[in-house]
Amino acid sequence: MSVRLTSIAAVLLTLASSAAFAQSKDALTIDLSGDAATLDPHLQWDTNSYSIYRNIFDNLLTRNPAGEIVPQIAKSWKYADDKTIEFEIRDDVTFQDGSKLTAEDVAFSINRIIDPKLKSPQLTQFDQISKAEVSGPNKVTMTTKSAYPALLAQLVKLSIVPKAYVEKVGDQEFNAKPLGSGPYKLANWQKGVQTELEAYGSYWRVKPPFAKVTFRTVPDASTRLADLKTGKADLIGGVTPDQAAGMKSETAIKVLSAPTERVGYLYINAEAGPTKDVRVRQAIAYAIDRSALIEALLAGYGNPVNIVGAKPIFGYTDKVEGYAYDPEKAKALVKEAGAEGAKLEFLTSPAYNRATIEAIQQMINEVGLNVEIASSDQATFLKRRQGEPANAGSMAFGAWSCACQDADGIIFPLFRSGSIWAKYKNPQYDALVDGARVTLDKNERLAKYEQAYQILKDDVPGIGLYQAFAIYGANTKLNWTPTANEAMFVTDMSWQQ
Amino acid sequence: MLRYAVQRLIQAVIAIFGVLTIVFVVMHFSGDPTLLLVPPDASAQMIAELRHQLGFDQPLWVQYLNYLGGLIRFDFGQSVVQRIPAIDIVMSRVPYTMMLAGGAIVVAVGIGIPAGIMMATRRGGWLERVLTAIVVTGQSVPTFLSGILLIFVFAVTLRWLPTSGSGDFASLIMPSVALGALSMSTFARMTRISIIDELGKDYVRAGRARGLSMGSVVTRHVLRNAAIPVITIAALEIGNLLAGAVIVETVFAWPGIGQLAIQSIQSRDFLVVQVIVLLISFVYVLTSVAADFVYALVDPRIRLAR
Amino acid sequence: MNTALLTTRLRRVPISVMIVCLILTIIVVLAILAPYVAPVDPSKQNLLGRLKPPGFERGGITYWFGTDDLGRDLLSRTLYGAGVSLGVASLSVVVSTLVGVTLGMVAGWFRGSVEIVIMRLVDIMMSIPAILLAVLTVAVLGPGFLKLVLVLGLTRWPRYTRVAYAQTLQVANLPFIKASELAGAGAARILFRHILPNIAGPILIVATAEFGLMILMEAGLSFLGLGIQPPAASWGAIMSVGREYIERAWWIVAFPGACLFLLVFSVNVLGDWLRDQLDPRSRSR
Repeated sequence: MSVRLTSIAAVLLTLASSAAFAQSKDALTIDLSGDAATLDPHLQWDTNSYSIYRNIFDNLLTRNPAGEIVPQIAKSWKYADDKTIEFEIRDDVTFQDGSKLTAEDVAFSINRIIDPKLKSPQLTQFDQISKAEVSGPNKVTMTTKSAYPALLAQLVKLSIVPKAYVEKVGDQEFNAKPLGSGPYKLANWQKGVQTELEAYGSYWRVKPPFAKVTFRTVPDASTRLADLKTGKADLIGGVTPDQAAGMKSETAIKVLSAPTERVGYLYINAEAGPTKDVRVRQAIAYAIDRSALIEALLAGYGNPVNIVGAKPIFGYTDKVEGYAYDPEKAKALVKEAGAEGAKLEFLTSPAYNRATIEAIQQMINEVGLNVEIASSDQATFLKRRQGEPANAGSMAFGAWSCACQDADGIIFPLFRSGSIWAKYKNPQYDALVDGARVTLDKNERLAKYEQAYQILKDDVPGIGLYQAFAIYGANTKLNWTPTANEAMFVTDMSWQQ
Repeated sequence: MLRYAVQRLIQAVIAIFGVLTIVFVVMHFSGDPTLLLVPPDASAQMIAELRHQLGFDQPLWVQYLNYLGGLIRFDFGQSVVQRIPAIDIVMSRVPYTMMLAGGAIVVAVGIGIPAGIMMATRRGGWLERVLTAIVVTGQSVPTFLSGILLIFVFAVTLRWLPTSGSGDFASLIMPSVALGALSMSTFARMTRISIIDELGKDYVRAGRARGLSMGSVVTRHVLRNAAIPVITIAALEIGNLLAGAVIVETVFAWPGIGQLAIQSIQSRDFLVVQVIVLLISFVYVLTSVAADFVYALVDPRIRLAR
Repeated sequence: MNTALLTTRLRRVPISVMIVCLILTIIVVLAILAPYVAPVDPSKQNLLGRLKPPGFERGGITYWFGTDDLGRDLLSRTLYGAGVSLGVASLSVVVSTLVGVTLGMVAGWFRGSVEIVIMRLVDIMMSIPAILLAVLTVAVLGPGFLKLVLVLGLTRWPRYTRVAYAQTLQVANLPFIKASELAGAGAARILFRHILPNIAGPILIVATAEFGLMILMEAGLSFLGLGIQPPAASWGAIMSVGREYIERAWWIVAFPGACLFLLVFSVNVLGDWLRDQLDPRSRSR
């Protein structure tokens, strides 16, 4: 207990001494909506956590600005057979304590994250990997349970951790004092307040652009904007489209945005309630005016889509014709199904934009259905949405990203029967997405996804609404181009000269 | 006296135990954090596996007994979200909560008590009306609105104070005002009422009759006597401030217990919530027991009446 | 100045109290008449006419309070919102009064183990911050008008219990109550026929103070996204949307904010006055 009292005293002291740290050209301050839950990159995978820790660690693979998978810690790779892949590891990379990054560390990182003892929530993304072994100097061989084409896309998310350090200090200490091979090392982590990083001088790839980077925790969007306006922050995340529209008149700050792989979609329950009738589901699809949603509520920060998937993903197709806005047709379909005035429950939570939900509600009501919003907190929402079809409401809005830029990460979990999100069953569809999951040939996979999307269009267990944009607010002097996977790599940023 | 003290303490322990039980049960009925932790593409089987690893698949009473077992050994458990001991997470926020509560108390007492004295001694005057208006305003504006208005006026437009954060004294001012406003009104009204109460008593009239000025009667006698109920309220307000900070701390990005509490409830980080509830109820019960003791010492009749 | 004179002066209703009573009456009447006086459907959206300032005209309708972020008429929404805010607050006060006063009287009348159980339960409830308890319960029950009433009502009853308990202790020894007990009257009869009327004053004081707080609590829950289900909206819910637009569309916050302020202000002024009239010695809060 006395140790804790001392630590409380220490916090009070630092607070007194660190009064108003002067902003200099060499520092960057970023406001995020929350603190990192963990800085151990093998534990939590939420936007705030990985926005921070991916600057401390390098990944096995990464994506270039065009979205293609390119080498990072792995120099190259080749498939030995459908289930075996061999990576060649760079030998010029050092961790922030000066020790060399070796093939041992890579194999350790993979085996660590798939070890059930770690209880990593990310295990699900890597569970197709059965093991990783060092197979020579700077060589690592990975085996998957079956042929797994999305493997590389998943490995983009794999951070490499130092085996010797983790084994020495243990998991808990590693989480508190992470050590990686990335461009920034942890200087000070005041949980719930801010995370301060400092440049790692001998970083192998580039010279880190700022000596010091601070990620602050500011939950309220209005407060973040106020921080940006007053110069308290140089970059803020989670800007709303309306805030962005309002920022355009300002000179000291600017809006940075990028279309992402995230897709705004509407799930429609195909297994229970009035929406069990495909005509009702089609009516809903016809009732929605995408361009009104995008122009008015997203202030143009969105692109209409016909499928549940956006352009940057593998498997995206524009060959599937969507449902154009046609309220008359929708009304006719509702009438035909005898569902006039049918009560539809629209599940949602505060995590989803309220205005969008209300606008969709109004659009569907106008074609003769009766939508009632049922908003609950996120945990309860997920429990219902992922539970039994009978209790999963009639529809829900979502903004989906698997951060893997692959249709497998979207429509497989959303609509494959047996998946927790799916309230839909179609054996033909299941066969297609199952097949695509284990097909290594690109064209064959693309063809399967196109057919799958066509089935989804006909059966309407859900509809794509728009490709979402990531919107940030930044100091005018900051150079940065946000990317499709919503990553926040500080090395891509710089101050204008 | 000793028997009364022991009895009261035993009841206090039972009360805290009751609080923990109620919160434990309610929390667990509202679902477990597994669904919030996994990435969206997790399969049902993977979720079940993680749930099992985290122990949330056990019957509620087993989890409860495990929790109590840990509690006896002063083991408050680990946060499933941050993967560090829950007590450490909460304790790291305590200094901020103390600072904010302190600031709010300064605002509440510093403005509330003088205002209450003025309102009681200058009854019917314009000053009373102005002060009444200010005091009632303090409890008529939702904090999420007063917070953003303060930021907009003093930070964005005038640039006098920092918009948010917790690094220095200046950033403590606005949250303290926003949080202290409600308690300020409580203090002002309590002070006013107890002074009016005292002013009606015989000794005041006797003093006045002896030729003492109103001012000296108030400062010498009335304030001291009127202070007791006000101090009681102060003790209770501290408990309220710990929790009332939920919204203020969110608006001003102040890393106190209130913000932590709401985030932990939303992420179903059960054990962190339990520690917070334990802490707040401990402070609350402690202050109310202390107040009871003071009463009992001052006035033996209370022991019979309570 | 003698006591009698002081009393008569206090008994006279001051002008400020009359004004707030008038304000309260107007708000209540408008809330009840909202369906008749509101110019348009409060949930009728118009995505092309969002965030328009007060006085904006379109299609023969003047939007006197402007429009919100979905192009809905703020005047109509504020009128309908009055009913929601007033409804939640007054019903939850009723719930907590019923529960709290009954338990308080029972504890004060029966004493013994009943008293200990009830008063320790009060301690338990009082030591969990109301907002935390409310957030937790809404998470379990889900939001909605009636659930909100229940949550607020069932988290605030201990305050009434304390007062009712203390008052019952005082009243219980009065001769006429002793007399009716000896005459064989049942406990329920004594509690509700004899004790309740004698302790109603202090309870009324608590209830008025709580009413203002309930309006603010409901607004706070709306801010946290746990309030009434959209598209219906309380004043608090409208304001929590409006605070995002405080620079671009001040009117969204301003009108319901002003109404909420007037309402709570009036209730508080009225409550203070009632307290001075009924019980100058009250230390219940």
